[in-house]
Amino acid sequence: MSKKVLVVDDDPDVRSFVVTVLEENQYTPLVACDGVEGLEMIQKEKPDLVILDVLMPRGSGIRLYRHLKTDDALKAVPVIMFTGIALRSFLKSQKALEEFKGEKVPEPDIYLEKPVEPQELVDAIKKKI
Amino acid sequence: MPANKILIVDDEQVIVRLLSMSLKSDGYETLSAFSGEEALDVFEKSDPDIVVTDIKMPGMDGLELLKKIKELDPEKEVIIVTGHGDIDSTITALQYGASDFINKPVRDEALAIALDRAKTKISIREQLASYTHDLEDKVAEATTEIRRKSNFQRLLIHSSHDAIVAFDQDWQIVVYNPEAAKIFEKKPGDVLGKMTIDELYTPQLAQYFRKEAKNKANDRDMPWQEMTLETRCKKQIPVRYATNVLHEKHEFMGIVNFFQDLTEIKRLEKELIQSERMAAVGQTVSGLAHYVKNILIGLKGGSYVVDVGLRNNNMEKLTTGWLTIKKNIKRVADLTQDMLTYSKERKPEAELCFPNEIVDEVVDLVTDFAASHNIQISKICDPQLGEMVLDPRTIHRALLNLMNNAIEACLELEEENKKFVVEISTKKGDDGSAVFSVKDNGIGMDEETRTKLFTPMFSSKGGKGTGLGLLVTKKLVEEHGGTIDIDTSLGYGSVFTMRLPEQPGDSRNGNKKG
Repeated sequence: MSKKVLVVDDDPDVRSFVVTVLEENQYTPLVACDGVEGLEMIQKEKPDLVILDVLMPRGSGIRLYRHLKTDDALKAVPVIMFTGIALRSFLKSQKALEEFKGEKVPEPDIYLEKPVEPQELVDAIKKKI
Repeated sequence: MPANKILIVDDEQVIVRLLSMSLKSDGYETLSAFSGEEALDVFEKSDPDIVVTDIKMPGMDGLELLKKIKELDPEKEVIIVTGHGDIDSTITALQYGASDFINKPVRDEALAIALDRAKTKISIREQLASYTHDLEDKVAEATTEIRRKSNFQRLLIHSSHDAIVAFDQDWQIVVYNPEAAKIFEKKPGDVLGKMTIDELYTPQLAQYFRKEAKNKANDRDMPWQEMTLETRCKKQIPVRYATNVLHEKHEFMGIVNFFQDLTEIKRLEKELIQSERMAAVGQTVSGLAHYVKNILIGLKGGSYVVDVGLRNNNMEKLTTGWLTIKKNIKRVADLTQDMLTYSKERKPEAELCFPNEIVDEVVDLVTDFAASHNIQISKICDPQLGEMVLDPRTIHRALLNLMNNAIEACLELEEENKKFVVEISTKKGDDGSAVFSVKDNGIGMDEETRTKLFTPMFSSKGGKGTGLGLLVTKKLVEEHGGTIDIDTSLGYGSVFTMRLPEQPGDSRNGNKKG
């Protein structure tokens, strides 16, 4: 059975792109449009990997990421951050949140800055599953 | 100190002793001498206050003694004891400055009276002396104080950062400080008391202040003003200036001008504007790059999906990909349009139109998108707002922009179960203008965001906004002579209110459809 990959992104263009890449590479795509929907899907579908946007309405990618990494049942699910935000800005916001909340969360397994070539995305997925 | 020490001089020792005893019993201190010569000695040594001397003595007589004493100290009182009817000696004694005369034989009462008179004279003289002395002190004190004050004022004027020039009632220059010398480039020595207003100022400026002096009856409450000061050296200096017309008892006394050289401030202001502009350009470039990158992401993703569709002969993929590409082409087109609108001057093209109809059009454009995100659009149009001469394109673009912003503000607020509403309303303003409001209960703005709202390329939407939207809206509204106001509160939503005044005299375009 093919592996399930969830893409969480509010931009339909990005979703259709990632879905197409996944289909072409024999993964089963799942989609969610925002952080809240993303979490529901993860809990329900137990995907093998999550491709996560950072800036989204209703539960940003940052919040969802922290949720995943602090939930014992979910922290093993590999996450690829897939975003237009530079890694530097992302890490800065993580650091600020860590200081604020007093909990440390591991850095994302893979961080991809849009735009990416389809092959880069496939390579990143293959590293993890 | 009361006059208490008395020298008694007589060649007859008995008389001296008798008088001495009598005076001592009255509380005086007495000294004795039995000749003129001896008396002078005692006088110099013991410094008596009053001398009582017999006129007739062998050797130096009383007159001679009187003369000598007066030479030594003209203020000593000398009482002369004369024989009966010795008029000549009496006159001489008067000429020498004797204080009083008593006849021989000396009676106690007569001496007491003479001594009292002498004492009174002495005390009056002492009082006078001390008074005179005090007066001198006081005058000296006052003079010092006046000098100090005048020095202080001189220093004050001298060291002032304002240029100060004052004229007296004849328009002669009486105050001219170093700052003034800097501005007018004339030395104080050549100006003070030597020039009049007409020689220092240009004719126009002199005329202006003469008029000012005539017009301004009161000498206060003339606020600082700015002007470009032209000097007689043909220099143009930006200044702030103030004028006081001076009066004393309603009499014109002169006029004083204060000038502040604003050259440096103006230069700094210019520099600041320049650096702000440069910062804006920097923001513009980075904001645009971000936005263009997002379009590129769309285009790349779309073309990949199209490729896959072609390869697999998959119509659905082809359609999806192609839609993505078309959508992003539109984004490029819109961006270009916004950039052109923002950078070019544009005159509104006013024509007869129905603002409420334009609102309908805009609402139609956004309703589907809003509904797909569970945002309700409500519309409250004032039927009083009928046909008006306005630029419909301005209204359309501005409202579409504000509506899209309002919807996005709702999407930003991460609140489950909140019923989001975007309300658009119109009404006729009190001044006859068309008033449009767009209200949302979305995320709202903090103070910082609000103040940055109309700066170029400020986007609160991450890479999803061009940063041009509100800027273009504001420019369109201003070109139309209108205003746009914001009332916002973080977490509660925003209201944007746009007022557009009717464009006069363009009704002939009424039938032309744009």
